[in-house]
Amino acid sequence: MAEVACTHCNLTFSEEIMITEKENDKTLSFCCKGCQGVYHLLNAEGLDTFYDKLGETTLHPASPQSDDLEKFDLEGFQNKYIRIDEDGLHEINLIIEGIHCSACVWLNEKVLHKTDGIMEASINYSTNKAKIIWDPNVLKLSRIIETIRSIGYNAYPYDPKLQEERATKTRRTYYTRILVAVFGSMNIMWLAVAHYAGYFSGIQQSFKDILNVAEFVLATPVLFYSGWIFFKGAYYGYKNHIVNMDTLVASGALSAYIYSIYAMLTQRGEVYFDSVVMIITFVLVGKYLEVLSKKHAVDTLDSLMGSTPTEVTTVKEGVKSLVSIENVIVGDVIELKPGEKVVIDGDITWGEGSFDESSLTGENEPVYKKQSDNILSGSLCLDSVIHYQATKDVSNSMLTSIVNLLEDSLSKKPRLEQLANTISGYFSTIILIIALLTFIGWYFWVESFEQALIVGISVIVIACPCALGLATPMATLVGISIAAKRGILFKEAALLETMAKSDVLALDKTGTITEGKPSVVKSDIKENFDPSLLHALVSTSNHPISKSIVTYLEEEYENLETLTLENIKSIEAKGLHANYKGQALIGGNEKLLQASNISVDANTENTLFFFAVDNLLIAKFELTDTIRKGAKEAIKNIQDLGIKVVMLTGDHEQSAKKVAAQVGITEVHAKLLPGDKAAIIEQFHEEGHVVVMAGDGINDTVALASSDIAIAMGNGADIAISVSDVVLLDEKPASIYESYKLSQRTYAAVKENLSFSLLYNVVAVPLAVMGFVTPLVAALSMSLSSLVVVGNSLRIKRLKFKNKE
Amino acid sequence: MSENIVVLMIGISTLLGAIGLMALIWAVKTGQFDDHSKFTDAVRHDNEDDLQDAAMMQAKKKAYKEKMKQERLEKERNYRPAD
Repeated sequence: MAEVACTHCNLTFSEEIMITEKENDKTLSFCCKGCQGVYHLLNAEGLDTFYDKLGETTLHPASPQSDDLEKFDLEGFQNKYIRIDEDGLHEINLIIEGIHCSACVWLNEKVLHKTDGIMEASINYSTNKAKIIWDPNVLKLSRIIETIRSIGYNAYPYDPKLQEERATKTRRTYYTRILVAVFGSMNIMWLAVAHYAGYFSGIQQSFKDILNVAEFVLATPVLFYSGWIFFKGAYYGYKNHIVNMDTLVASGALSAYIYSIYAMLTQRGEVYFDSVVMIITFVLVGKYLEVLSKKHAVDTLDSLMGSTPTEVTTVKEGVKSLVSIENVIVGDVIELKPGEKVVIDGDITWGEGSFDESSLTGENEPVYKKQSDNILSGSLCLDSVIHYQATKDVSNSMLTSIVNLLEDSLSKKPRLEQLANTISGYFSTIILIIALLTFIGWYFWVESFEQALIVGISVIVIACPCALGLATPMATLVGISIAAKRGILFKEAALLETMAKSDVLALDKTGTITEGKPSVVKSDIKENFDPSLLHALVSTSNHPISKSIVTYLEEEYENLETLTLENIKSIEAKGLHANYKGQALIGGNEKLLQASNISVDANTENTLFFFAVDNLLIAKFELTDTIRKGAKEAIKNIQDLGIKVVMLTGDHEQSAKKVAAQVGITEVHAKLLPGDKAAIIEQFHEEGHVVVMAGDGINDTVALASSDIAIAMGNGADIAISVSDVVLLDEKPASIYESYKLSQRTYAAVKENLSFSLLYNVVAVPLAVMGFVTPLVAALSMSLSSLVVVGNSLRIKRLKFKNKE
Repeated sequence: MSENIVVLMIGISTLLGAIGLMALIWAVKTGQFDDHSKFTDAVRHDNEDDLQDAAMMQAKKKAYKEKMKQERLEKERNYRPAD
């Protein structure tokens, strides 16, 4: 069985299943109709140079997309995502899925450019975000999405105003200021070389004046344009009676600057312009590094968010129409198809089926609902078509009220003060006091106003906030990038510190400690078992239990044949029924088999699935929610670090205790509603603990918002991700342990950096007080201290993780 | 060395540097630095085809602007307030 690569997507498959074609003595093989279609489309459009550019990179096979294109043209959709500019053109931001390399970006841009009516299509190579401007009279948005899908990619819109725009703007402002600051510093430095040379070997006053003026001209924009950020921060601190680092930087730079102007004009003493710009540049770079890490996190999160449903199908007098959710009123009848998420609360009027309420309650057992039962927004309709009447409009539905609750609690979220801020607060005050005392002391001793001023200023200058300013950002940046490489996304640098200080970890059970999906743990197979039969039967259903049987069969058995069954019926809350060549197949729980008069043994705490052919029991499977791999070791490691681990769950006591015993957790709180979880965390707060909470569903979000650090699983509910501070992209419990270790190591590095800079000051300030500090010494010590801090932060990279899985 | 020469030297070099800085700031403001991979990868896609493509897009934009202007003129000409 030779392996052959698909001509379009470059993935290799065995030769027999490929679709082959002959084209001018070339044999083309395709893995599926999708790839074949895209290949011919590209050739027809003259875009086959794509394959040269693609080279060896593999793509996803082009799969036909679901038929939801009309929603892109709805008014509600337009208001939310589309912007209209002054020429009347429409503009939208999309995230394009399936991009693997620059060739894919090139292809998408080319195809969009060729489409009539598209004025501009630019795609960002690194973030896969596309900005498209088009003429609404010529082209509709749904057509644009269709075009992108026709070449094998998918696109969905995101709202840039939420996070990205702000992050980009902040980054750009910082970047420009840094450019100006760096330009200023570099130029002043070569001027300063001349200055220092003159200091040692003598220089004519006239030349010194020229240099002074030149440095002044360069330093002014740096101080006022780039340093504006510090003045703002210092002003804010002054208004709130806080002395922070911005105060120190602003006062140090400003006083050095004013003194240097004085020295320049009176032609006495030395100018300190080079110190001024260096302070500004170094500390600004530190701040910029922090902003940079935030933007990166935001980019990744935007692509995780996906799209939330914004419209539903309503049935009015037999006519089905697609309506945006804001326009649905109480009493409207809504049609729900299998696999769709419920957006509006209501009562069932026609049909019955199972609903997955795991994102609300955490239980992965489907709940069966029939006529006149209430269904809640946030649950997922599993297996049948349902018509239900809305009892609340969208703004009052459960989902929206949870979201509102969240936004309220977000503002009350406790934030621990950073160590650096505390230290720099004291530090700044002390230095200012020392400078003042020095000035007074010298004035009385030497009776020369100028000299006293010089010495006083030099104290402030040498106190150099550079090292202090770089201490935290450098270390946290390195920490965050290491975490990102291991699939742990910290949204903000400061979180590393908070996490290092925590001593309690609260874990959600379903979806965090466990996989959240049932899987087969025991199988009891009697004679005549044909796996292909069962496989064909359970493949017809979307129920979590059926899906796990499918996975189990595919793992255990090879050569599963695809069989066509007839009379496929799914019986709600019981199972499946089908016929194959005259045999009657039944698969389901004990209730289904009892209905067919087959007696079974249903005595176990696990979920059961039976398979019977022609009323004869063939196989019995026991399923349970499995613990995630590595959970037990991770929890033990975390406990070894001295952190208390507790389990909070909405599930019942028995299953909670069972899982807790398996992973080694002693404190268990079960049967909790979302509000109860938050209450327990509040209790921990009152006892003085710093709480980290890990969860994945909507039922966890209120608790996540009230904890000090919230960790969300990458595949959890969108809301959980947006509320959390840390997102685990690969969902391994070991990552929680790694983030603990990483945050503690980074915090240690921050403390080392801070103590070094303090030590340096303890040595330097007395020197300044005694009058030994000259511009040369000041400048040198500044650079040196900053370099040491940077070097020490890079040491974090050497942190080794044991048991790398 | 007289002072004038020194002033001249410093002045001109700083000016040249400042021009470079302005160009850089302009590039940042128009968003050219937002995309790190495009910056390096785009060199690969810089052949005649792509230039044609870019020219076509520009022509499209111009045609659209012309059309809009025409439509606006038409509207103004045909504007008859209700009696």
